[in-house]
Amino acid sequence: MDTIRLDDSKTLWERWQRNAIKNPEREAIVHCVAGEEPTRWTYRSLIETAKKISVKIREAGIRKGDVCAIIMHHNPMFYPLYLGISRTGALPAVLAYPNPRLHPEKFRQGVEGMSQRSGLDYILTETDLDPVIRPLIEKPGSTIKSVFFPLEWDIKNNIDPAADAEIEQISASVKENDPILLQHSSGTTGLQKPVVLSHRAILNHVENLGNGFRLTDNDKIVSWLPLYHDFGLIACLHIPLAYGITVVQINPFEWVLAPILLLEAITKERGTLTCLPNFAYNVLAEKIHDDELNEINLESMRLLVNAAEPVRHDSHQKFVAKFVKYGLNPLSLAVLYGMAEVTLGLTVTVPGKPITELVVDRNELSRGVVKLADNNSVKRVCVSSGRLLNGCEARIVDENRKDIADGLVGEVAVKSVSMFDGYRNYPEKTAEVVEDGWYFSGDYGFRYNDEFFIIGRKKDLIIVAGKNIYPEDIEDALNHLKGIIPGRVIAFGEEDEKMGTEQIAVIAETKAESEKEKNDLRMDILKAGMAIDINIHKVYLVPSRWLIKSSAGKPSRKANKERIMTNEDKQVWSR
Amino acid sequence: MISPELKKVILTELNLDDFNLQDETMAPEVPGWDSLNHVNIILAVEKSFNVKFKSYEVLRLKNVGDLQKLVDLKTGK
Repeated sequence: MDTIRLDDSKTLWERWQRNAIKNPEREAIVHCVAGEEPTRWTYRSLIETAKKISVKIREAGIRKGDVCAIIMHHNPMFYPLYLGISRTGALPAVLAYPNPRLHPEKFRQGVEGMSQRSGLDYILTETDLDPVIRPLIEKPGSTIKSVFFPLEWDIKNNIDPAADAEIEQISASVKENDPILLQHSSGTTGLQKPVVLSHRAILNHVENLGNGFRLTDNDKIVSWLPLYHDFGLIACLHIPLAYGITVVQINPFEWVLAPILLLEAITKERGTLTCLPNFAYNVLAEKIHDDELNEINLESMRLLVNAAEPVRHDSHQKFVAKFVKYGLNPLSLAVLYGMAEVTLGLTVTVPGKPITELVVDRNELSRGVVKLADNNSVKRVCVSSGRLLNGCEARIVDENRKDIADGLVGEVAVKSVSMFDGYRNYPEKTAEVVEDGWYFSGDYGFRYNDEFFIIGRKKDLIIVAGKNIYPEDIEDALNHLKGIIPGRVIAFGEEDEKMGTEQIAVIAETKAESEKEKNDLRMDILKAGMAIDINIHKVYLVPSRWLIKSSAGKPSRKANKERIMTNEDKQVWSR
Repeated sequence: MISPELKKVILTELNLDDFNLQDETMAPEVPGWDSLNHVNIILAVEKSFNVKFKSYEVLRLKNVGDLQKLVDLKTGK
C-alpha cells in the first residue's frame, strides 16, 4: 500500500495546487448524474477552472474574509466555485438548496436568521432563487450585500494574467490560522450555530482522520452525502482533495430515490471507501431488489464509515447479511464519532478490524452504569465508536463537569488540534459549551478499554437520517396552530427500528374532542411541519394540562416522551 | 387519472384518510411523502400491484401521474 506523505502546505489552496502539480491528470472529482456520463475533473482542470472563477469572484467585489453562501443543486461547477472562493481568501459556506416542500417565506427566514448570526456577505446561487433571495438584500440591516449566479458566468476565455497574479498574491497572504470555511449546524429559524474553521484546523484534521482511515494513494472515496453536511464536506470533499485522491460524488436527491446508485458507482469506479449515516445501511439492505444487484461487486471496498447519527448493531448485521455475497468484506465496516466543533471526527474504529460491541444490562445503563449483561439482564448492544484520533483528547464527565471513572456513563468532553475557535458572533453559546479549552458535546457515552461508546444525548436534538433537527423549530411552527393550546406542544425523536433512524413525533395539548376535529388537527400539524421541510411522523393529542412541566415551567420533552412511551393512557389520541 | 387502487395504497402507506391526488400532484405536496418515505411508498405500490420497478424508472417519476402510468405499463393496462 502506498501511504500518502502530506506536504507542509500552510493553506488548502496551496495543498490543492501542489496536488495538481504532482498528479495533474489524476481524477480529483467524478461528478455523477443518473443516466448520464459523469463529469470528470482532473486535478489540473479543477484548479485551472477554479482560477478562472476566482477572477470572476474578485470582479464581483468579493474580498478576503467575506463569507459566501453557496446554495446550489448538485452541479459539476460547484467544486471549482468552492475552490475559487477559497483562493481569493473568502470563506465558502455551503447551504442546502431548499426542498420544494419548504415554504419560500420559511426559507427566506432561515437564510435571514443565518445571515444575522453568521454575517453572510454574499449569496452565490441559481437564478431560480433570485426572487426569494433578492428581498433579503434590500431589507434594512441585512448583512447580505449581493446575490450572484456563478452558473451564468462566462469562463470560456483565457484568464487575464494581471488579475490572476493579483489573486495569487492575495492567496499567498492567507495565513494558516486564517479562516477557510464556515459550517452551520442544522435548523431553520436562526438556531444554527456557525462554526468557522481555519486552514490549520482542516489540514490537521484531514491528516489525522486520513491516518485514522489508513488512507493510501490507491483509495477512491464514493459519496452521496450532501456537501452542506460536515460529514460530506470534510470526509468526502476536503479529505480526498487534501490527499490528492479521487472522490466520486453522487446526487443526494437521486440517491435517496434510487439507493442502488451508490453500489453502481462503487462497482464501476472501483471505490474503496464510503461514508454513510446509519439509516443508509437499512435502506441499502432492505429497499433494493435482488435482481437489480446482479452486476454489483463490492470487493474493492475496504472501508464503510458509519457516522452522523447513533450507530445501530442491527443495521450493520442486516447490511453484512445482504452484501457478503456481493463481495463485501464484513471487516470493512467502521464507525466514526465526532462533531463539527472539532472539524468532524474525534474517534474512529480500526480499519480492517472487527468493531467492538458490548452487550450490557439496559437497566443498569439507564442508571449510568456499564454492566455486562448476564442471563437475567434486559440486553442492549452498544457499538463502539473506536479510539481517539491523533491530536484529540476526550473525557467522560458528570453534570458538574468533573471526570468520572471508566464504565460510568457521562457527557463526552473533547479537545482537539482541529477544534473551532467558538461560534461566530455567538459568544454566549460558546461560553455555554466551552470551558478551559474543552468542548462539552452534550453527547452521553462511556469509555471501555480506551474505546468510546456513544449512547444518547443530553440535549434534545433529533437526528433523522443523519440530519440534525432542533425540536424548538418544530414547536415554533406548531405553537400558533388553531386547535393547539398555545405553548403546549413538544417535539421529540422516536426510534424507528425498521428505518434505522429516528422519526419526529409531537405531543400537543388540545381541546378538540371529536375524532374529526382530532384528524383535522393532525393534518394541520403535518402541513405546518411540511412548510418548514419537516416530516412529522407521529402525532399524539392530549387534553389540557396533560403535559408535564419542567422546573422552568415549560413542557419537558424528556419527561413527556418517557410518559408517552411507557404508559398506556386512554386520554392519548395518536396517529 | 389516478386509479382508486393506487390512491388507496399511497394513502394507506402515508396513514392519511384522504388527499386529492391528481396526475400532476408531486410528492412534496403530500403530507408525509418525503424522500425517506418515498422508497417505502414505491415498495408498497410494487407489492400491491405485484410488479417490480427498476431504480431508473423510479428516478424518472415526476408526479403521481407518472407513477400511475408506470403501474399501468407494468400491469399491461
